[in-house]
Amino acid sequence: MHISTFMKRLALILLALPFAATAQPPNKFVGSQVCKTCHPDIWLNFYKNPHFKSIASAKEAEDKTGCEGCHGAGGNHVAAGGGKTTIPRSFTLMSTDRALETCLACHSKDMSRANVRRSSHTEADVVCSNCHSIHKAATPKFLLAKHQTELCYTCHASIRAQFEMPVKHRVNEGVVQCTDCHNPHGSFNSATPTGSSAALVTTALDNEQPCLKCHIDKRGPFVYEHASVRVEGCAGCHMPHGSTNAKLLRRPVTFTLCLECHNGAGTFGRQNNGVFAQSASHNMLDPKYQKCTLCHVRIHGSNADATFLR
Amino acid sequence: MRRTLLCIFVIAFAAGAQETVAPTAGERVGSVRGENTGDYNVVQSWEFGYRYASVGGNQGEYRSDVNYHDGFRLLGSSFTVNSKDGKGRWFDEIVLTTQGLGNDPYESATLRVQKNRWYRYDLLWRQNDYFNPGLTVANGAHIEDTTYSWQDHDLTLLPQNWYRIRAGYSRTGQNGPALTSQQIFNAQGTVYPIFRDIKQQYNEFRLGGDILLKGFRLTVQHRWEYFKEDTTDNQAIAVQGAAPQVLSSFYRAQPYRGTTPGWMGNLYFERRWIAVNGRVSYANTKGNFGQNETAMGQDRFGNSQNQQVIVIGNGDRPVLTADLNETLFPEGKFSIVNNSSVANTRMDGNNFFEQFNNANFLFSTINFQLLNIRLVTNAADLRYRFSKRLNIFAGFRFAERRIQSVEDSTVPGSPYFGVTAQQANHTDAGVAGVNWLPLKTLRVHLEGEVGRNDNPFTPVSLRNYHAIRSKIQYRRKTVTLGGGYQENYNNNSIQITAYSSHARTYSADASWNVRSWVSVDASYTRLHLDTLGGIDYFAGAPAQQLTGTSIYISNIHAANLGLRFALSKRADLYAGYNITKDTGDGRTTQSTDPFYNAQTFPLTYQSPLFRLSVRITEKLRYNVGYQYYGYNEQFGLFSTYENFHANTGYTSLLWSF
Repeated sequence: MHISTFMKRLALILLALPFAATAQPPNKFVGSQVCKTCHPDIWLNFYKNPHFKSIASAKEAEDKTGCEGCHGAGGNHVAAGGGKTTIPRSFTLMSTDRALETCLACHSKDMSRANVRRSSHTEADVVCSNCHSIHKAATPKFLLAKHQTELCYTCHASIRAQFEMPVKHRVNEGVVQCTDCHNPHGSFNSATPTGSSAALVTTALDNEQPCLKCHIDKRGPFVYEHASVRVEGCAGCHMPHGSTNAKLLRRPVTFTLCLECHNGAGTFGRQNNGVFAQSASHNMLDPKYQKCTLCHVRIHGSNADATFLR
Repeated sequence: MRRTLLCIFVIAFAAGAQETVAPTAGERVGSVRGENTGDYNVVQSWEFGYRYASVGGNQGEYRSDVNYHDGFRLLGSSFTVNSKDGKGRWFDEIVLTTQGLGNDPYESATLRVQKNRWYRYDLLWRQNDYFNPGLTVANGAHIEDTTYSWQDHDLTLLPQNWYRIRAGYSRTGQNGPALTSQQIFNAQGTVYPIFRDIKQQYNEFRLGGDILLKGFRLTVQHRWEYFKEDTTDNQAIAVQGAAPQVLSSFYRAQPYRGTTPGWMGNLYFERRWIAVNGRVSYANTKGNFGQNETAMGQDRFGNSQNQQVIVIGNGDRPVLTADLNETLFPEGKFSIVNNSSVANTRMDGNNFFEQFNNANFLFSTINFQLLNIRLVTNAADLRYRFSKRLNIFAGFRFAERRIQSVEDSTVPGSPYFGVTAQQANHTDAGVAGVNWLPLKTLRVHLEGEVGRNDNPFTPVSLRNYHAIRSKIQYRRKTVTLGGGYQENYNNNSIQITAYSSHARTYSADASWNVRSWVSVDASYTRLHLDTLGGIDYFAGAPAQQLTGTSIYISNIHAANLGLRFALSKRADLYAGYNITKDTGDGRTTQSTDPFYNAQTFPLTYQSPLFRLSVRITEKLRYNVGYQYYGYNEQFGLFSTYENFHANTGYTSLLWSF
């Protein structure tokens, strides 16, 4: 047997003696200093970990501080000489919902996680330990397992493809982050519309879409609102991640995008009589009229003109 | 066969995030444990370098898509200070990171300073040089060459206490020159490009706190938002339209001032088998504006025109929202989550509009508009866990949306006789899914959704729809393989519109750490969208009303490949390739039908890159990188091709200690 292994086991046995005298259950708390004996690599840099706060304060109860605050009492683990199965809360062996509840025991105190249990991540069994790495974090803030963009792309490969298109929000370039628009812990956004609509989208107090955090001139309120923008949201006309079309539009040119709604048919629109069709003065064979926003410059809403001309 | 083999290769070796070539990522220098100074540990790294770019073809499209240019930069940096006992005098942690400082188009900095138990301060600052030619939208008449800047400050006092105080400030701005357009003097007149000086700013102040007492958490926040716009539109020189039209001068100022005070209260409590969260928020935006527009020139009949438009008015938007979210977990395997939400948004505004032509009063109107949206939703989900490896969930979504509308315009002194309308629509949707780990290393997720809306608001809104989302992931020590399929189908057909949309996304990705010194990442995604919509339009002279269909097919293939080599612990080499290719609807020549032409836009956008990082000393590395961008449109919309190619690169020194 290697000498260092022998010494480690000897140390463990000596440490375990006080606990061996009692029956296995109930499991006892041993304190982080004991854990340090066999896990020096984790302990060495643990003062850089946000969870070190509980140790530094020295005011927390033993079940809420240090290693055992998350992993549970370590008495049996020490007595057994190690092993994952003797750790009450070993995150690699736990079911996902138990891992979630363990973290939420402290972290539900923040309002940004108020909707975590109804989030699409939780429904897909994606919980805290899938994205956060407590002991081998790639980022000092939030202890993410990878840098944010790479982390999200791990599961969302099709979203990565959208951000690599010629027209896109600058996520790969590092100036925009996924969390600018999404709350991975679940958002307050109401449950509709559903289907193809985006998940986990954050909204401001006044239910504004996250787009308006940057596109401030589109906020309004306007005297003449483009009603579909307010009712169906920005994604009615734009692809928010990336597109091969200018201005992230859903179509290469504007007139087909506009005319698909503005056809006067059915009971759509503000007055239940169809979204009004274009004027007879617009000859669609003339390229000028094919670029609707050339004249309708205030298409997101206007304070001066009902047809968004100024 | 070759294509199949190629596909298999791409899928099998599928891709990591395609990084931009600089700053140098992933290669570390020196001891990651940093230097000890007193009771603190300090780790820092600074990368200084020179970036270059050589662009051929359409500069506007390059600036819109890429925008890197020459110059010295602090390409990236990080600086952390940690107290070793968590009991520093003024602070316990400082984390500072920056990217692209020194005039890169994408600059950012983050800062966190905190002292355990006393305070935590976070700053996020970003700046983006935004250029957009918007050619296919407005034929070059809507260029923007502006700068967006953002800053967010958040301060939490007593972050570990049973009560916490939170304060914050955010600021967003857009400034810079742009072009807009204006059709002037006649409805059939020329559309002129107009110079625009964009000046917009948004400020938000936040103050609030949390109280944690006996398992209850109460959060209260008050917020004040201020928005101001001082953009002006100006055309100081004469512009010739289709003869005899002339716009000899144009000026427009449209100042806007908006304020939004808002309150939010949130109550959360949790017991052994129940967690409840309730939130109420109210915000009331008020905006005041004025507009003064003057234009001089000749109309399309050659008559001299001197036109002035004056508008003044205001808009209001009170928004009230309430949510209640309950989670029940009566026993370990079973949980129920229910969320109810009510939101009411009321937008009303009025303006007083006056127009003078050749100094003569032409007309004056008073407008009143209202748009009121009330949304009531409920979502209930049940989850059952059979074992650690298998759980299922099912849920029901319900939404009732009521939209009220008033549109009115009248002359001063007359009563309003507005057009009022009200409608309601109702959405029911069911969802179900399964999460399964057939092996410890294999994870499968499958979910589906079916929904119905009885009265969609627009012809492209969801009516009869379904969605499928599936993912499979295999993860073993050095290998990760993933695949996914997603489908969204919507049918909103009625007479004329006959709208349907069918989007399918296929994706595959793989990551393999072959050895400690070599790794491969790759991914492939296919985004396939086809839509069919009914349209109604006028064409020809004299104009004839026509109906037809609008068919749009987009077939986007995207792939990327990344290879990372560590050479004798001395150098790191990264090579990557990224391609996005839209094959459109398969046409190789343009149709004579303008609508049909506009529906496909095949293009290829590709970007190979390499980056070499060489260790010079324990604390110093030399880096060099190159990235090519090639953008090639196969169909030039409106006979405009925006193709470009660019050779970009950088060379830098990375100093870490």
